[in-house]
Amino acid sequence: MSVFSSTEQLQEIMQELWTRIAADPDMSTKLIQSRLISQFRYREPQGLITIDSSDGAEMKIIVGDTDVKPHVEMAMKSDVAHDFWLGKVSIPVAILSGKIVSKGPVNRALALLPVIKPAFAFYPHIFDQWARKARASK
Amino acid sequence: MNPFVFHSPTKVTFGEYVCASAAEVVKEYGGTKTFIVTDEVVKKTGILEPILSAFEENSYCIFTDVPSDSDVDTVNAASALAREFGCDSVLAVGGGSVLDTAKVTNICLSMGGNLLEYEGLNNLTVRLKPIVAIPTTAGTGSEVSMVAMVKDSHEKKKLLFGSRLLAPDAALLDPTLLRTLPPKLTAATGMDAITHSIEAFSTLISMSPFTDALCLESLRLLFEYLPRATKSGDDLEARCATLVASAMAGVSFTNCGVGIVHALAHATGAHFGTHHGTANSIFLPHGMQFNLDVVSSRYALIARHLGLSKSDKDNVAAQALIKAIAELSAEVGLPPRLRDVGIPQLHAALLDELAFLASTDPAIMFNPKESSTQDLVGLYERAY
Repeated sequence: MSVFSSTEQLQEIMQELWTRIAADPDMSTKLIQSRLISQFRYREPQGLITIDSSDGAEMKIIVGDTDVKPHVEMAMKSDVAHDFWLGKVSIPVAILSGKIVSKGPVNRALALLPVIKPAFAFYPHIFDQWARKARASK
Repeated sequence: MNPFVFHSPTKVTFGEYVCASAAEVVKEYGGTKTFIVTDEVVKKTGILEPILSAFEENSYCIFTDVPSDSDVDTVNAASALAREFGCDSVLAVGGGSVLDTAKVTNICLSMGGNLLEYEGLNNLTVRLKPIVAIPTTAGTGSEVSMVAMVKDSHEKKKLLFGSRLLAPDAALLDPTLLRTLPPKLTAATGMDAITHSIEAFSTLISMSPFTDALCLESLRLLFEYLPRATKSGDDLEARCATLVASAMAGVSFTNCGVGIVHALAHATGAHFGTHHGTANSIFLPHGMQFNLDVVSSRYALIARHLGLSKSDKDNVAAQALIKAIAELSAEVGLPPRLRDVGIPQLHAALLDELAFLASTDPAIMFNPKESSTQDLVGLYERAY
């Protein structure tokens, strides 16, 4: 069973995460400078997040279906994404073992991995908050 | 021990004159109309004759226009011809560029559409048409690897394709085909294979006992036989050993990655067109010195396996290996510095550009030690 109970929960958590990243100039400046459009396609449950920095001015966070054409797509189970943000997944190893599928110039996305590492520190809080909220609403 | 996945999808057949069985092997995999990818150099050597004579008339179509550093335009031209002829299988005969071109052409032939749609890793979803690879160099390991690279000449970048489904179904390792390989290419491709094994053995996050065994034995064969194969092309025993060692190194690195030496060499190749094996040979001692503090025990294991050091101090044994690699490179006649291969003075802006290219090369993600832009610039300066 996935750590995410639904597409809505998965996408809201990822949206919150990327919103925090966008608000942190240490991370967002380099992401915006990259002018990269990255798309994260999740399964079990399904989810889609697109981060569009193509105008070099801001990071647009697009949740769900979009007509924006990404430069790089990364597809994985949502649990792999969860483990990644907890710092438990090595991207090279996940690629070798087929857990992550990348489409497009993967080097451009890999170059940004060190930039987003500080987000590992606050992802657990975001996830825990949502888990508490979900328990309270039951 | 690392958790690991080990794939070896390619059936390997080794032996003198085994290339003559290519038609039979293609048929074994269901091929009836075969697209043969090669280059003009291979064609001129006459080594295609025994391969082609076993094919029935009108059962194949040959494409010989593969350049030494193949690109998207070549793949598109090859794919168009293969489709026009209605090919259902691919046979690649040549060095790394030919083999990679054939593998990427097979993506287009099997899946249709635009090649750029398939750039990436684990991005192929259907089984490709059968492909058989016959290497005519001993170094790239492309005949058994799950990756291929071609250049996008318009965008001036290398495109990476990687998938378990990309590996050839069969590789025919025929040492007699290497007899005509010139000493310089023998040396450079051999040092490429050595770099594959050294770097794969040092990938702390992805190495496994399977890949370790392949790396160690391939290095033993290459250290012993590469000088002989370089000195005398007709030394069949040496050709056998280097050809098998290269494939072993290929299986190894395709399962656990390479590292900083390949990243530096790819960036240099993309910018100056430097031969990949030669660039690897130049960067290898420098890359190893850089990684030494985190993988000295791994280098020491290799040094002791090769009988290069009896020291129980890892650092001492590891230094013996680095020294032996530099000496081997010199013995086989390869240049030690970038300036020796026609690379101009590296000014600050160029160094920054090369360092950026190397830092974003997928090979670097497997390196055991993280590197900053300054580290990469320093490596270029030392190698110059």
